[in-house]
Amino acid sequence: MTVAREVLRLDTPAGGRFAVLTRRSGRACGALLYVAPFAEEMNKSRRMAALAARRFAAEGWVVLQVDHFGCGDSDGEFGDASWQHWLDDLSFAWHWLAERSGRPPCLWSLRAGALLAADWLIATGKHLPWLIWQPVVTGKQYLTQFLRLAAAGQMLDEQDARGVLTRLRAELAAGRAVEVAGYRLSPELCAGLEAASLRLAPGSSGPLAVLEVVAAAGAGLSPAIARLQQAWRNDRVAVDSAVVAGSPFWMTQEIETVPALIERSVRMLERFGA
Amino acid sequence: MNYRESAFLIDCQGDELVAIVCEPLQTPATLGVLVVVGGPQYRVGSHRQFVRLARRLAAAGIACLRFDVRGMGDAGGAPRAFEAIDADIGAALDAFMVRVPTLSGVILWGLCDGASAACLYAPQDRRVSGLVLLNPWVRTAAGAARTYLKHYYLKRVFDSAFWTKLLRGGVSPGRALAGVLATLRAARGKPCAEASAPAAAQTLPQRMADALVRAGRPLLVVLSGRDYVAREFEQALSQDARWQHLLAHARLVHVDAADHTFSNLALCDDVSRLTAEWVSGLMPGRQGSHATGGSRQ
Repeated sequence: MTVAREVLRLDTPAGGRFAVLTRRSGRACGALLYVAPFAEEMNKSRRMAALAARRFAAEGWVVLQVDHFGCGDSDGEFGDASWQHWLDDLSFAWHWLAERSGRPPCLWSLRAGALLAADWLIATGKHLPWLIWQPVVTGKQYLTQFLRLAAAGQMLDEQDARGVLTRLRAELAAGRAVEVAGYRLSPELCAGLEAASLRLAPGSSGPLAVLEVVAAAGAGLSPAIARLQQAWRNDRVAVDSAVVAGSPFWMTQEIETVPALIERSVRMLERFGA
Repeated sequence: MNYRESAFLIDCQGDELVAIVCEPLQTPATLGVLVVVGGPQYRVGSHRQFVRLARRLAAAGIACLRFDVRGMGDAGGAPRAFEAIDADIGAALDAFMVRVPTLSGVILWGLCDGASAACLYAPQDRRVSGLVLLNPWVRTAAGAARTYLKHYYLKRVFDSAFWTKLLRGGVSPGRALAGVLATLRAARGKPCAEASAPAAAQTLPQRMADALVRAGRPLLVVLSGRDYVAREFEQALSQDARWQHLLAHARLVHVDAADHTFSNLALCDDVSRLTAEWVSGLMPGRQGSHATGGSRQ
């Protein structure tokens, strides 16, 4: 069965959003909404996401990928984006896909996309099946790592790097935007990202499918994810997890793919299907 | 907004390329800029450099098309080397002319190996009206080693932080020395892989110069100050009379504070502005200050 791809412009109340809809002909088994990672990680993982979308579509999923405000090919400047913009975009895309596909879409996130998805699920009170690739666990730590790029860009030593971090934090605290590695970050965006963490609303039952990519075959889940998984299971949330060996394709210098991650996801998604 | 953006799919030998055209609303564009994406980037560019470029060009009356070559971004097909994307560039150029029928020609705009791919494509297509090359990729094994020696190792010899770190044990002296020795050997100019291959008697920089001379189109070259790829390019052209001739007839701009991908918003926008000015100068009816490219054959 052939998989068809459409490129679209979604007209949201806050401007145009670029989107790709991938589906096969015939009856769909479900709808899947992709929540992309942050900044350069979105660029680096674009091919992997496209390959996965095609593969999921071949299995019967209607897959929607949307560039949020100021990201990818969508309207707006990245520097003007706030966390709330992106939560609103996620809402718009979810309802658009629900209407188009005739069923409530499941979520599929990569990296910091998990933080946005977690906040959105809590804010909307929705409980949805969720495929989680290589999740970022705490936004605060992730933001710090991103700000460190500013120091790395200037090839500073450890002590200077701390100074750069302190200065950037002070700028943000004073309500001013900062620029890191070609991205201008608004204080609103940083506040949202910083407050976000990988958590579930009370009463969530899943199913969740958590997948991590590890360098060496035989390694287990990262300790933070293993702890979260245990806590969720204690709360009777259905969590399936796996690790696959491969390159960290969201950050590698050259474009990498991890086909095993896609194949493993296909099997896990079978439990999500209606 | 004084521009309109639309996304569409292009067929390239049976595979789908995703493309976005950005065009001015007020006046029909007579010249277009086709962004030839290189390296590990897709059509938006690192930190959305190409999105910002396209929107600024459209605001200045110039249409811009960005697209994913096969195997990159959202495009279908298998990935291929920058030297093998002529069909992709051709398909995008065809689609660009159809989408914006007022175009009389198209400028190829490329960064890194996208610039190299643009050079190699240029002579075969009469619709190419000029080229903008940012930090063109001219890597050969010997060239790379010479650049590193000149700009990295030799600088480090005089770098007190390096010696402090070395003495404190932050750097393995054995490994550091082995690295220098290996680089010295490579820089001594042993024939590199591509030069020794029977079919390719010429190195990459030579083939690019050849193509540009044959194309004979106006040229804008932008080089970053904080970039080894740009240093290698300078190294290569210093040893090639044709490059020197080409550059003598081109507009050459150095952006000292910029890195390889212009990951500073102000500098990135400077490049967009520079591109818009230069391309406007090529438009029929508008007097440009640029010279008219390299010699024609």
